[in-house]
Amino acid sequence: MIDLIIFMSLLALGYGFGQYTEKKHYKSIKQRELILRSVPVIASRIPPHGNPNFDSQLVSGSVVISVDYFKRFIAGLRGLLGGRITSYESLLDRARREAILRVKREAKDLGAEMVFNIKLETASIHKGRGNAIGSVEVFAYGTALIPN
Amino acid sequence: MLTALLSYLIKTMQYSNPKIPEGINTSKINPLKEFIVLAGGIIVTTIVVLGFLIMLVDFFADKIPFSWEQNIPVSKIVGESKAQATPAYLQNLTQNIAQQMDLPEGMDITLHYMNDDAVNAFATLSGHIFLFKGLLIKIKSEDELSMVIAHEIAHVKYRHPIRSLSHGAVVSIVLSLIGSSSSDAAGGLLGSSSMLTALHFSRDYEYKSDQAAVNTLIKMYGHAQGAIDLFVLFKQELQSSEPVELFNTHPLTKNRISQVSKIVKQSSVEGNKILTPLPKEFTRWLKEIPNKD
Repeated sequence: MIDLIIFMSLLALGYGFGQYTEKKHYKSIKQRELILRSVPVIASRIPPHGNPNFDSQLVSGSVVISVDYFKRFIAGLRGLLGGRITSYESLLDRARREAILRVKREAKDLGAEMVFNIKLETASIHKGRGNAIGSVEVFAYGTALIPN
Repeated sequence: MLTALLSYLIKTMQYSNPKIPEGINTSKINPLKEFIVLAGGIIVTTIVVLGFLIMLVDFFADKIPFSWEQNIPVSKIVGESKAQATPAYLQNLTQNIAQQMDLPEGMDITLHYMNDDAVNAFATLSGHIFLFKGLLIKIKSEDELSMVIAHEIAHVKYRHPIRSLSHGAVVSIVLSLIGSSSSDAAGGLLGSSSMLTALHFSRDYEYKSDQAAVNTLIKMYGHAQGAIDLFVLFKQELQSSEPVELFNTHPLTKNRISQVSKIVKQSSVEGNKILTPLPKEFTRWLKEIPNKD
């Protein structure tokens, strides 16, 4: 009985805080995406304009983000029943967008016009915790084109 | 050559910087709804499937000959317990009650006295019944004592120990087949819902044993006041700390009392409810027996 109460409060806490932080994060992501729209990021390996009057520089952005208890529990149930782990989809979506935003921020601070050859890497951080993956790192990097 | 072609293609392509629509990479499912569907589905399926399997083995456990239980060495059942010699009074009373309960041929009851302060009594395989000192010193009349013993004998009579054992075996086999460990979310949920299923059967057995014990009590004393007194004692003992019935091996005391009153009403035994006192030698023996340690 006490176990159940503890478990339910952990779930409720995870849900409450998780949803709150997710909402807050998405709000800030959308705001900054609007601000940084002037710096396009493209996946092409070759700079789009053959214009040689550009300096290029590596820009990168990394973010580590953690699941809450509630999301992890739902993902655990999915481990038995299968299907889309929707609770992790939004988590990774946030992480990717945040990482790209940090790339853009760095590029903009360098005065870059755009970033090309953008790459994303993902790593799960679960040292010694086996299957109970708690957090992910998304690392984005690309080449910023800075007009000289 | 290829590089030149690519640069040409890229140069001639049209670029735009559209605003990317939201919700491409995420699902619009309410997480709470998803949780209820997933967890509810697992709980209901486990209860239905395990409930069926338990009923199945329950049916067959009954068919295991009692002599197989008796072939298990006593030391394996009783173990290194603090069991001590029991006074003749307790032994005689147990045999009297056993006679009243129409036990099948060859079903022998062995009584053990445990010098322990736990307010408890239990029955286990091959007709071994354990009475704890903690319970005996709280009991005020022979009626209550008979209720305890009759309840435990009823467990043996209906083969509850071996049935419960087979339930436990089914639950652990199924859980290990699924390969769930209680450390992950799904495994924990499976484990607790299968436990809830098994507990339901456990409470059912308690009601059944209570019923048989009360009927025996009425046969022996002409009334069942001893059963009521015993449950009132339990109620005082547990005070308000009784948890929710769903998570318990035994039914709530108030539910047991109402069952007893129902049986008493049906058998219409009113009249004098004189309780038989415990013999003086027995209470003296109980007081003089040294505590453990």
